[in-house]
Amino acid sequence: MAESKNKTLLLENIFNDKTRRKYINGVQTVFHCHHFISLYTQLAIDIDETQILKETAEESFYNTLTKYFSENNIVDFNDKVNLACDYYKAVGMGEITVENITLYSGVVKSTSAHIDKGWMAKWGKYDKPVNYIGCGYISAMFAVALNKPFNSYETIEQKSIVKGDEYTLFKIVRK
Amino acid sequence: MAIDREQIIKEMSQMKVQGDESGIIEGFNVFITQLSTDFWQGFADKLLSNLDPDLKEATEYLLVNAAQVCGYHTGYGIIASDDWKKIVGPMIENVEDVLHGAFAIFTAWAWANAEIVELIPGKKMVVRAYNYYEADVAKYGKTEPKAYMIRGVSAAFFALAYAGEYDPDSEKYNAFSCEQTKGIECGDEYGEFIVTPNTNI
Repeated sequence: MAESKNKTLLLENIFNDKTRRKYINGVQTVFHCHHFISLYTQLAIDIDETQILKETAEESFYNTLTKYFSENNIVDFNDKVNLACDYYKAVGMGEITVENITLYSGVVKSTSAHIDKGWMAKWGKYDKPVNYIGCGYISAMFAVALNKPFNSYETIEQKSIVKGDEYTLFKIVRK
Repeated sequence: MAIDREQIIKEMSQMKVQGDESGIIEGFNVFITQLSTDFWQGFADKLLSNLDPDLKEATEYLLVNAAQVCGYHTGYGIIASDDWKKIVGPMIENVEDVLHGAFAIFTAWAWANAEIVELIPGKKMVVRAYNYYEADVAKYGKTEPKAYMIRGVSAAFFALAYAGEYDPDSEKYNAFSCEQTKGIECGDEYGEFIVTPNTNI
């Protein structure tokens, strides 16, 4: 699946001079660095609220992807998956490649991730996966591509770059 | 003051970045993402709303701390960058100009439309934010102050100006603290942030 790239991701960057706010494809965005994302993630881990981090990411990206596909008339399943992978890369989250998607599950591989790279630059390796935001993104990508509602998929990291694995392997299961 | 705030905002707001082949954006001494504001404010709001009230103050501190660390390292990356040297550098006459320039970039990067309204070098800085995404969390009625990011970055920028030479391995980022005294989310016309020396270190 998803072997040919028929659609190119369009990125419209706008800075509103009046409000001083920034938008990508009509979604308000903001630059933040790896220190910020690492410390937010560490906070979620420390107080055992990683699910909030994951679900907030999923909700946000679900809305972003749904808006983009709707406004650009993207209806093909492969196009949705490819464009979602491209968007992940464009906003600096890293690189993801979909290995497979079935009716109820899927596998996604990542050889590069902002959070893992930033975390290791800051603190070195860690004994647990840390890419909860990426998990949320992938759950959103599956739900939007398969025309399912928000919160239809659970994504976990079976392998993780920050743990010392060569790549991160995300396992996705339909709830 | 030599700083042309509007010119800096105009030029620096046009910066467009995109992940490289591996999806990484590297610049200004850090790795960068450009995620939606509703994600950042949504996480902070849900986290605090879901917490045991006894943990609220400590968690708010950690949200501010995340921005303070970010502001210290990214802020240094900004003022050491070629873009800064080219656009802001010619306007700089003293340390205070560096701070005003930094807040122009703070605005250009859409963290907040914020500027310094009072500055006592090394002792106190008052920042006003006229429009900022952290206020968007309030949809009805008034909330408590929620601009944790502005608090942290304001304190960090002040530390870059007055806590000595940048040292990535030190606690200098924490030399000052910032309190939010007004907020759009609280029903005020603007957000107000007061930076003073951190008396807890």
